[in-house]
Amino acid sequence: MAESTHLRQPWILGAKTPHQVTEDVAGLLDRRPTVLWWSALTASFLALAVGVVAVSYQLTTGIGTWGLNKTVGWAFDITNFVFWIGIGHAGTLISAILFLFRQKWRTSVNRAAEAMTLFAVMCAGIFPVIHMGRAWLAFWVIPYPNFRGPLWVNFRSPLLWDVFAISTYFTISLLFWYLGLVPDLASLRDRASGKVRRFVFGILALGWNGSYRTWIRYESVYLLLAGLAAPLVVSVHTVVSFDFAVSILPGWHTTIFPPYFVAGAIFSGFAMVLTLMILARWTLGIGEYFTTRHVDAMCKVVIATGSMVGLAYITELFIAAYSENPFEKFAFLNRALGPYAWAYWIMVTCNVAAPQLLWFRRLRTSLPFVFVISIVVNIGMWFERYVLIVTSLHRDFLPSSWSYYTPTVVEVATLVGSFGLFFTLFLLFCRFLPMIAMAEVKGILGETSHD
Amino acid sequence: MKRNPVDPTTPEPPTRGLPLHRRSFLQAAGFSLAAVATGCHRPPPHSSRPYLEAPGEVVAGRPLYYASVCDGCSAGCGTLVKVRDGRPIKLEGLDEHPGSRGGLCAMGQASLLGLYDSRRLRGPLVAGRDATWAEADGAIRSGLAQARAAGRGIRLLTPSLHSPTERAAAARFVELQGAVHVVHDPLSASAILDAHAVTHGRRLLPRYRFERADLIVGLDADFLGTWISPVEFAAGYRAARRPDVASPRPSYHIQLEPTLTLSGCKADRRLTLRPDEIPALISALSHALAPGLMPDRAPEGGSLAANLAAAVADLARQLQQVAEAGGHSLIVSGSDDLTTQVLINGLNFHLGNYAATVDLEHPSLQRQGSDVAFAELVAELRRGEVGALLVAGLDPLHEFEGAGLQTTFEDLDLLVSLSPQSDATAAVADIVCPSHHFLESWGDAEPVEGLLAVRQPTIAPLWNTRSLRAGLDAWSTIEGAATVDDLVALQAYWRQEIHPRDSRGMDFQSFWDRTVHDGVALLLPASATTASATTASATPAFDTLAFATWLSEAWRSTTQTTAPASDTPTDAFTLVLYPKVGLGEGRHADNPWLHELPDPISKVTWGNYACLSPSAAGRLGVKDGDIVRLRAGEAALELPALVQPGQHDDVVAVAMGYGNRRSERFRDIGPEWIGTSPSTDDEGRVGRNGARLLEGLGRVRHGVAVEATGSRRELAKTQQWERSDDRVLVEEVTLQALLAGNVAAEHGGQEHGSKEHGGQKHRADLYPDDHRARDSAAHPARKWGMSIDLDACTGCSACVIACQAENNLPVVGYDEVRRHRDMQWMRIDRYYGASEGATGTEADTLDIAFQPMLCQHCDQAPCETVCPVLATVQTEEGLNAQAYNRCVGTRYCANNCPFKVRRFNWFDYQRDDPVANLVLNPDVVVRSRGVMEKCSFCVQRIENAKIEARSRGEQRVRDDEVRSACQQSCPAKAIVFGDVLDEASQVAASRRDRRGYRLLEELNVQPSVDYLRRVRRRPLVDESAANAKNEATDGGSSHG
Repeated sequence: MAESTHLRQPWILGAKTPHQVTEDVAGLLDRRPTVLWWSALTASFLALAVGVVAVSYQLTTGIGTWGLNKTVGWAFDITNFVFWIGIGHAGTLISAILFLFRQKWRTSVNRAAEAMTLFAVMCAGIFPVIHMGRAWLAFWVIPYPNFRGPLWVNFRSPLLWDVFAISTYFTISLLFWYLGLVPDLASLRDRASGKVRRFVFGILALGWNGSYRTWIRYESVYLLLAGLAAPLVVSVHTVVSFDFAVSILPGWHTTIFPPYFVAGAIFSGFAMVLTLMILARWTLGIGEYFTTRHVDAMCKVVIATGSMVGLAYITELFIAAYSENPFEKFAFLNRALGPYAWAYWIMVTCNVAAPQLLWFRRLRTSLPFVFVISIVVNIGMWFERYVLIVTSLHRDFLPSSWSYYTPTVVEVATLVGSFGLFFTLFLLFCRFLPMIAMAEVKGILGETSHD
Repeated sequence: MKRNPVDPTTPEPPTRGLPLHRRSFLQAAGFSLAAVATGCHRPPPHSSRPYLEAPGEVVAGRPLYYASVCDGCSAGCGTLVKVRDGRPIKLEGLDEHPGSRGGLCAMGQASLLGLYDSRRLRGPLVAGRDATWAEADGAIRSGLAQARAAGRGIRLLTPSLHSPTERAAAARFVELQGAVHVVHDPLSASAILDAHAVTHGRRLLPRYRFERADLIVGLDADFLGTWISPVEFAAGYRAARRPDVASPRPSYHIQLEPTLTLSGCKADRRLTLRPDEIPALISALSHALAPGLMPDRAPEGGSLAANLAAAVADLARQLQQVAEAGGHSLIVSGSDDLTTQVLINGLNFHLGNYAATVDLEHPSLQRQGSDVAFAELVAELRRGEVGALLVAGLDPLHEFEGAGLQTTFEDLDLLVSLSPQSDATAAVADIVCPSHHFLESWGDAEPVEGLLAVRQPTIAPLWNTRSLRAGLDAWSTIEGAATVDDLVALQAYWRQEIHPRDSRGMDFQSFWDRTVHDGVALLLPASATTASATTASATPAFDTLAFATWLSEAWRSTTQTTAPASDTPTDAFTLVLYPKVGLGEGRHADNPWLHELPDPISKVTWGNYACLSPSAAGRLGVKDGDIVRLRAGEAALELPALVQPGQHDDVVAVAMGYGNRRSERFRDIGPEWIGTSPSTDDEGRVGRNGARLLEGLGRVRHGVAVEATGSRRELAKTQQWERSDDRVLVEEVTLQALLAGNVAAEHGGQEHGSKEHGGQKHRADLYPDDHRARDSAAHPARKWGMSIDLDACTGCSACVIACQAENNLPVVGYDEVRRHRDMQWMRIDRYYGASEGATGTEADTLDIAFQPMLCQHCDQAPCETVCPVLATVQTEEGLNAQAYNRCVGTRYCANNCPFKVRRFNWFDYQRDDPVANLVLNPDVVVRSRGVMEKCSFCVQRIENAKIEARSRGEQRVRDDEVRSACQQSCPAKAIVFGDVLDEASQVAASRRDRRGYRLLEELNVQPSVDYLRRVRRRPLVDESAANAKNEATDGGSSHG
C-alpha cells in the first residue's frame, strides 16, 4: 500500500459522522423493500422450493434418485458439502483473524461475511445428512448414552470428526456473529418506531446500554471469541480434508490436503464475499462503506490463495510422478486426461489462470470485472471438489469396477436448492439486520490504511 | 449339513407306497403356504393343521436336505435340495454324484425360482379357458381319435428325456396311439449320434471323459459353458489339468471356434474360424493324421486359410506325439455336419481315444434328439400329414420363429402343450396341460447309462399341475381308468426294470431306500444287460470299413461340403446363434436371476446383442450399444452391437432364447422412480429372437448383411473397462516355473501367508495384530479364509447365482445395471489381454482372465475405520461383518474399498410377489433401502455349522462342514473356504500352495482371500523331456 494516491484516502468515504453511519445503515431497514429485492427473494425462494421438492423426493424414494453407482459413492452431495463449508471460511477469517491482525478494512465487510458463513454452514450441514441412505437415523453419529446397547460411535472415522468440527464451527460462528450484532441491535432498538420492532430488538440487544463497562466487557469477549474462532479457520477445513486424506484411495490419500483445502476454502470464501458485497454495493448504495479499496484488498487475498491452490495442483502432480506408485500416477493422469478432463481443465482455468488477471490494478478495481472473476472462482472451486471426489472414485484400483458418473436432475435441483436457501437467508438478513457493522465502522471513521 | 434318510426301519408296502408322514407334511406345508401366499380361489384339497404328533425330523428353523436330480437342462446333474420349513430354498450340487461331482451350474441353481413363479399356469386350459383334468384329457382323447380317424399322424415332440420312466411312458403312448415320438434338442448333438450310427453301428452319444485327456481339442464345442453336460465336463477338465506339484500332469487344450466361449477362454491355444471352415479343417486334419483310414477318393480339403493350414499341421503333430507317448487326446466338436462328426470319430479311433476319453461303454443319454426326425416332422407338418401334436418341454414356435411353423400349426386337429408357462406354443395350443416343476414331483434320471438317480419331491405341487408321465399314461389308457400316482408308477417301473440291473444283491425296498437317500445309484447299463443276451460284445466297436464306405459315398454325393463363400457378397456375415451361459437355449427366459446374471464374457445383462469382432465393428463404424440391422433375405432384426474381441471377423453372433413372450413380465422389474426405463425393449420383451433370421433348422446362416442404423440402446454391462492395462491383477506362472519351484521369481517375490501361520515370519507391520483370536477350550480360535484357484475357475458364474439364492440378493433390472448398480455380492471380473508368445491375428492371441471377486474380509479393512457408526467391524473369527440395522448409509466404506465389492441399497427393491418371496432364505435378512451390504462369507452357514458342532458336543467345526454357497456349487472346485488356523483344513493346505498370492497386497489391507495363480501351459510337444527332469528334482515343498 505504498501508492501515493491512496496515502491519505480513508477507508470510509464521505466524511461520515457516527450519526450518518447509523442513518445510512439502519435507514436501509426502514425503507420499503424494493422491487429488485422482492424479485430476488422470489427467485431465491423458488430455487429453495425446487430443492425442497428434490430432497423430499430423494428421502422418500432413495439415494438411487441420484446418479451415484457402486463405484462412485459420493459426488454432488459431498462436493456441495465441501463447497459450502469452504465458502464459510472467509467469514471467519475476515471476522476473527483479520480482527486479531487489526485489519481495519474488515469492518465494512465482516458482518455480511459472518452472515454468509452461517448461511453457508447451514447449506453445508444439510448435505452430510441427506447423503445418508437412512437420513432419519443421522443422529446415530452423535455420541450420547443411548438405549441401543448402548452403541457408541467410531472415533476413528473422519466422518465423526466432521460432526464435531462442523457443529463447533457453527456454534462459534453463530456466537461471534451475534455478539458483534449486539451494539447494532441496541442502536436499532433505540431508533425503532414500531412497538413490535422495539420489543424484538430490545430482547435481542440483551439490555445493551452503551456504558463504559458494557463496552469493556463486549470488547474482551469479542477478542476472546476471535481467539477461539481463529484456529477454527484452519481446523475445520483440515478436518474436512481428512475425509479424503485418511482414505486409501489414490487421489484422496494425500498429505498435502489440509493446507490445500484451507487455502482453497479462503479462496472461494473471499470470492463469495466479493460477489455478495459487490451486489450489495450496486443495489443498496453502500458505495461509501464498501469502496474499491476494499475490493482491492480482498482481491489480493484472492490472488494469494488462488496461487497457493495452483501450487497445490502442481505439487500433487509432481508427487504423483515422483512417487512411482502406479495407482497414484494413474489417478492424476486420469484426472487431467481422462473422461473428466473437461472438469479438470475448467477447474485449472477458473482457479489458477483467471485470478492471475487480478495482478493488474486496473482490473482489480473494476467492480464488474472483479464480480465476474469472483463468480468464475466459485465455479472453479466447486469443480475442484467435484474433480477431486469423482475422478478419484470412478477409476480406482480394479479396472473391472471403473465407471462413469452423471448427475441426475434430482441432484442438480438439490444444488440449486442449496443456493436458494443461501440467498433466501441472505436477502432476509439484508432486510432485517444491519449488513454493515455500524459500531465497528464508527470506530475507524476518518482513519486511513496507514493509521 | 445333515442328509435326511428315508427311514429304513419302517418300510411301507409299495402299493400304498408313501412314507406318509413326510409326504403329508410336505403336502400340508406346500398347500398351506400356497394358499396363504396367493389367496387363490381354489380351496386347498387338504386342510392345514398343526401336527398332533410332529415327525421327528422336522424341526422348525432347521433345514432338511433331500437328494434329487436337477432338471434345469437335460444334463441331469445331481442336486441336494435344501428345504426349510416345508419349502425348498436352495439347490446345491450333490457331492456323491459321479457326473456333476458336487457342482451345479447357474442355470440349474436358478431353476429353483421357477417353482415360485406366480405366473405359472395354475391348471389345465382347454381352448384358453380353465378346465378340469378330466375335461382336458377327454378333449385330448377325442382329438387323438379324430386325428387317427382322419388318417393323420399323431406326433409327440419332446427334448431328450433323461428319465427312463418318462421314456417308457412315451413308448407306451407311442405304441397305443400309433404315434411317433420325435425327440428334438434345441442344442442338438444329433450329428454325433448319427456319426456313431455310421461308424459304430449304433446311434449313441459317447460320454466324454475330459479327466483322462492329456490333449484336448475343442472344435466349436463350449464344453465348459453350454455343451451337453458342462458341469460334468468342467469337473473332468479340472481333474485333467490340476497343476499338482507332486504328480504333475502335462495337459494342453486347443480350441477352434468362431465365437468366444468359456472353453475358448480357458484354452491354452485358441484359433478363430468361420463355422463353414470346420469341415475342411477336419478333413485336412484327417488326411494329415490318419491317411491310412481314409477312403481313396477323398477330395482335398478345399482351400484352407493360411493360419488354419498351419494349425492343422500343428494339431496333427501334437496329436501324433501324444498318441505315440501313450497318452490320450480328445477331439470334440459341436458341429452339426455329419461328415465332420464321422471324421472326428475316425480321428478319435485312430488316436486310440475310444474306451479312454470317449466312453461308449456308458454312453450319455443327455442328448438323443435327431435333427433328421425333426426335419421330417416339419416336412410332415408342412404337408398337412399331422393331425395331433403334443409338445412337452419345447417351444417350437419361439425356437423357429423364422421358419413359419405357426401356419402349419393351424391345420392341426389337436395341439397340446405341456408347458408350465404360457409360451409361444402354449398360447396357440388347443389344450395346455401344465407340468409340475421338477421339485414338485417324483421322477428319475439316467443321464449316462448305468447312472441312475431318483428325484424326490420337496414340496407338494403349488398349483393344479401334472407330470408328463401321468399325462402320457392318461392318454394311453381308455377313458375312466384311474390315474396312477407318480410314486407308484415310478416304483413299479424301478422294480421291474431298474432293480434287476443292480448287482449289489439288495431287495427292492432296500435298493429303493438307498437310492432315494444317496440320490444316485451305479448300475449296469441297460444296453449291457440286453446286449449280453444277444451279442458277445456290449460296447460297439469302430467299423473301419463302414467309415471308409460311408465317407466315399458322402463325398461322391456332395462335391462341395463347405459353404459357397464366393457367391455371397464380400461384406456379408455368417450369423451364428449361440447359447449363452445362464440362459442356454432360452428355456429359462422367465427367470429374472438368469437375465441379471452377467454373461461371463461380455458382462452384459438383460437382453441379447449382435457380437461383432473389433475390426468388423470398426468397418461398420459401430461401437457398443449402437443398434445394427441384420438382414437375411426377407427377414431383418435390429439389435444393439457388442464389440467382442476374440470373434471371427466374418461372424456376427446373437444369443439364442431371447425375445421370448415369457420375458414380457420384466417390463417393470426394477425400482420405480422418475429416471427409470423398462427392462424390456421397444418390442416389449427382453432381447430379440435371432431365430427370425434363420431359414432352416440350423443355428447358422450365411450371407447376412449387417448395417448401422444410427440409433442406440445402451447395454447393461456390469463391467465397463475390459482390460487390466498394466496392472497385474491376475497373476500367472508357467507350468515349468511352478514345477521348478520359482513362482515368486516371476512376480517380484512377494512373501505372504506369514501372518496366520504362527507369526514365525518377520512381520512388516509395526502395529500389534488387532484381531488376534482368543483361543480357549470353549472358544477355539478361528480365522475364516478363502482360497480361489484362478487356474481352475472357468468363469461359469455358478457361484454368482449360488450367492444370489443363498443371500436373498434383489433383482434390480436393466436400468439399474446400466447405471452400474448391480447388487451381486460375487462377481467375476474378466480381463482381456494379449497372450505372450502367441502369434496370429488379434483374435487368436487374445488372452482372457477370470477373477472371482467378493469381499476380501481384510484383516486391516479400510472400510471399518471410516464408518462413523461402527456398522462394519471385524469379528473375532476374522470376518468383516456388516451390521445392516446399524448402517446409516454414508457409503464411505464402499468408497474406501479397493476391491469395490460393497453394494448399496439405492432403493427398496421389489419384494411384492408373495409367491416369489417364498424362495427367500429365512436365515438371511432382506436389506432395506439405504444400507450397505456385501459378502458375509455366508456367516449364516458358519453359525449353523457351529451350532451343529456344539449339538454334537464338539467345539471345533469340521472342515467339510462349513462351505460357502459359492464354494459348494463350483463345478471346478476353484473355491476353498474354511478355518485357516486349522492346519489340516483344505484352505490351510491351499494357502501353502506356492501359487498363492493376494490381490493389491501392497496396500497392506491383509485380505482373507488368497488367489492361486493361473498356470500357463506350453504345447506338450517340446516339453515332455523337461517335465520328466522337473519331476525328478522337485520335492513338492511349499512355503508359508
